[in-house]
Amino acid sequence: MGKKILKYFIILACIPAVIFLGAFIFSEKQYAWVSIAVALLSCVPFFAAFEKGRSGTQKMIILAVMTALSVVGRFAFSFLPHFKPVTAIVVICGMYLGGEAGFLCGALSALISNFMFGQGPWTPFQMFAWGILGLIAALLSKLLKKSKIVLCIYGVLAGAFYSVIMDVWSTLWADGTFNILRFGANLVSAFPVTIIYMASNAVFLLLLAKPMGNKLERITVKYGIYQKKA
Amino acid sequence: MGGGRIKAFGNYHPIVLFTYFVSVIVTVMFSVNPVIAGCALIGGVSFCAVLQKGRVFLQSMAFYLPLFLIIALTNPLFSHNGATELFFLNGRAVTLESILYGINMAVMLVAVIYWCKCYNEIVTSDKFLYLFGRIIPKLSLVLSMAIRFIPLFKAQMKKISRAQKAMGLYSSDRFGDRLRSGIRVFSALVTWSLENAAETGNSMRARGYGLKGRSSYSVFRFRKGDGILIGVSLALLAAVFIGTGLGKTDFDFYPETTKIPCSPVAIITYISFGILAFLPFFLEVKEEFKWKYYISKI
Repeated sequence: MGKKILKYFIILACIPAVIFLGAFIFSEKQYAWVSIAVALLSCVPFFAAFEKGRSGTQKMIILAVMTALSVVGRFAFSFLPHFKPVTAIVVICGMYLGGEAGFLCGALSALISNFMFGQGPWTPFQMFAWGILGLIAALLSKLLKKSKIVLCIYGVLAGAFYSVIMDVWSTLWADGTFNILRFGANLVSAFPVTIIYMASNAVFLLLLAKPMGNKLERITVKYGIYQKKA
Repeated sequence: MGGGRIKAFGNYHPIVLFTYFVSVIVTVMFSVNPVIAGCALIGGVSFCAVLQKGRVFLQSMAFYLPLFLIIALTNPLFSHNGATELFFLNGRAVTLESILYGINMAVMLVAVIYWCKCYNEIVTSDKFLYLFGRIIPKLSLVLSMAIRFIPLFKAQMKKISRAQKAMGLYSSDRFGDRLRSGIRVFSALVTWSLENAAETGNSMRARGYGLKGRSSYSVFRFRKGDGILIGVSLALLAAVFIGTGLGKTDFDFYPETTKIPCSPVAIITYISFGILAFLPFFLEVKEEFKWKYYISKI
């Protein structure tokens, strides 16, 4: 019960409070600030739930493996620029291990890969974007497992979503306000990369979802991890 | 500079370092004042120059200088606020204020990027984990396991890929083949790592992970110097916050740029922030001279 209250408290009280504070106190550059704070705060309930929840060592270590795999995946396919399986692995993690694991795998992947590629104010946004993609994948897991077409569409949309979120961020960041013209310019200039994201997500989901899913299911059944009724 | 010697600033306690970086970056992003932004940029760039090897630093300069210009010069294209019209482009006014705003924005953004670079050099992942180990113990264990897995998986991936090459699988350089061989190697890695992980998890449980009374190992000790540094930086930060909070350093670009505030309070604020921003640079340079001096005595 306490967990739920904390969750709703953060979502319903803290986030609006940050937005109001930002709007009233800091006259300029508020948007960039507020957006960072909101992105960070929206990760907090998931982190808190994981800390409070009864998660065994195996759950933790599988989460660590999935996170590490999504980061290593960036190296495995480094010969193809921007063609990365990170989103696909986060989505698979959400589909087969549930929403919490999906969100955390996304958020932690962003955090860890930025230890290598450089932390910055963009880190909370990447954490949030990938986390949400993992969470939504868990909500849609039945559909995604059933149909390859839906899986493909989800991959394409996920690529677009990630790209748009990052463009919103760079607009706020470079302008201090949400300048629609600059947003448009960012969208257009990022378009080729967005296309690669969308294509790579679809390709990796098609190629990886089934085999990786089987492996995850096998391991969870074999060791009795992440089972609903244990 | 840099290279041979352990970084002086990096020797401080993680809490001190984290507080320092957060306070500098927060101040830069909050304040709309060209003096503060300029101090932060020069402070950050010079700190970075001491931390990084010459070539790496110059390479980053070659990337960020054009970025600086792009941010500074594109603002007038997107923003037509401001009273002083310089000329018209496609029937839209290009104003002096929007150019100045763009330059200020560029200074601030590049400053934050350079401070983040310094943060990455100084607050390494082990310090980060130490800091958050108490607040989020489970997640930071997951993080540290994942960080350890990365080199392990990379090594394993190399082994698998060599084995597959030796078997003559997908050895051509065509896009499809490379993608398929990548997937194949990756898939083998997934099997291996998951099986390994489940074993490790069992082993951890067998050794009593999660029982009460777990102690943790830490290499960081809070020394007198840490207390001094955190005290000084918090005092300077407080001075800056009071100055900006009182509105003494407010600066407006639109509709017309105001004068840069020069009241005594504003000047104290600038000086405090200047000291704060150059603190690590001075510490590094001091240590460099000490090092050179001792070396020369040998």
